[in-house]
Amino acid sequence: MVLLLIGCLVVPLLGLLRSSFLPGSHLLEGSGFTLDQYVRFFSDSYYTSVLVETFIDGFIVSLICLVIGFPTGYSLARLPPSARRWRTLIVIMPLTLSLVVVVFGWLIILGRNGFVNSLLVTLGIIPSPRIFLFTRPAVMIVLVQQFLPFMILSVMSVITQIDPVLEQAAANLRANRFTTFRRIIIPLAVPGILVGFNLVFVLSISAFITPRLIGGNRVVMLGSLIYERIMSELNWPSGAAMAFVLFVSGLAFTAALNAMAGSRIITGRGRYAL
Amino acid sequence: MRSDLIDNAMAVSGACIRCLVYTILALPAVLVIVSSFTSGETMNFPPAGFSLRWYQKVWENDLFMSALWTSTYVAVLVALVALVIGFASAFAINRFSFPGKAFLQGLAFSPLIVPAVVLGIGLLQLFAGLGLTRTIYPLLLGHLVLAIPYVMRTILASLALQQRVLEEAAMNLRATPLQVIRRITLPLILPGLLSAAIFAFVTSFGNVTVSAFLTYGGKVTLPVQIFAYVDTSYDPLVAAVSSIMILVTLSVILTIERLIGAERLA
Repeated sequence: MVLLLIGCLVVPLLGLLRSSFLPGSHLLEGSGFTLDQYVRFFSDSYYTSVLVETFIDGFIVSLICLVIGFPTGYSLARLPPSARRWRTLIVIMPLTLSLVVVVFGWLIILGRNGFVNSLLVTLGIIPSPRIFLFTRPAVMIVLVQQFLPFMILSVMSVITQIDPVLEQAAANLRANRFTTFRRIIIPLAVPGILVGFNLVFVLSISAFITPRLIGGNRVVMLGSLIYERIMSELNWPSGAAMAFVLFVSGLAFTAALNAMAGSRIITGRGRYAL
Repeated sequence: MRSDLIDNAMAVSGACIRCLVYTILALPAVLVIVSSFTSGETMNFPPAGFSLRWYQKVWENDLFMSALWTSTYVAVLVALVALVIGFASAFAINRFSFPGKAFLQGLAFSPLIVPAVVLGIGLLQLFAGLGLTRTIYPLLLGHLVLAIPYVMRTILASLALQQRVLEEAAMNLRATPLQVIRRITLPLILPGLLSAAIFAFVTSFGNVTVSAFLTYGGKVTLPVQIFAYVDTSYDPLVAAVSSIMILVTLSVILTIERLIGAERLA
């Protein structure tokens, strides 16, 4: 296992890091060591705007996942096992199902002759089909659906560890559900929330299949930019540099959340509970 | 318990959100299956008529059928190898203490923090340098890296739950260590091992984010074939292929659920 992971994880990463310091726009073109690729990336306003937009998208996606995933994860944790069964299956399904299949499902939902359009036209809400695809909100909705299970499961695993007696005690002390929620549940669930948020954010900023298929050419995220750069333009040094910007941003975000939590929650048990 | 306006508002909004969440999560898969039975030429909703003609077209389509074969072949190999490596490492981590144990544990879960795009192009570069892009090794090894964390997690959990007493009893009865592993340990954690293998299978079978980079000039897996196809065209053929994938995935999840229960699925 050590050999496998070092050979197929550490070595490729180091190789990529090396390529990102090459000059030129082809792998075999240059040799030597230069920061050109990084300088070009950060000095071009197009790249920096893609970078910033990717982060904003990732943040919004994580936030939406948190807002709708928390109540779901909470209820899942408090349900009796029998009622939990099919709900868990629905939550797990998108995780195990291939990403392309899920994205294809969204093409059916959001397409011009798709589910949403035909529903809205039949109900008389809009007179003729609209274009939902190739917009940023569409990409974000699809990302939310893809990564929501991570949030739900993270929240669920931490809520199961909170004794329901605490909530009953709060209710006995005449706290309403909102107060109980704010003062008891949220503070205790912080580790799970952070783990979920972290996962969704890191996964969202590195997405490339979804922006490409749902967003087309109009919605560019960092992941799809890297894919283009490497697979279409074969510009390895530039693609490798972008990949490292992405990788390091993800690590930095994790580290920042870790620091915020003031403990080893995220890298510690949280990761393993994934 | 006290009931007031806020309580009711929270109960209602919570129920609405949950309803929305489950709908959103299930909708894409459901609509893919519904659309795959269309008898029309194009992807419309609601689908026109009912037929199995698109399934027949998949069966006749060499591109998709050979991709399905490649995916299955790679996934089975990944499951087997991941199981062996995963069991050996998990057993060592769970039962022994040795220098570098924490490092090993950290390493096992490290693939989770590397974005798939980064891993994909890293592997592509490595194997291109080694001149191996036309072989199956890049896919196999890439998927193994992805599967290791899930396999390790499942096996470690099984080992942790298992009672050491039985192993000790066997050793008291003068069983050799190998006998103990083969006759006591393995049968006891069999459900965990099976679900680990199945996890590895699904991880490999469904992966597209890493596979997309590892098919350069060589074999193509089914999800990558779908990705390439959807990138340029959009017809019920893909709906039929996707339904097959959903069917495989669903049966696999139900199997794991039977083996270790929905509780530990998460």
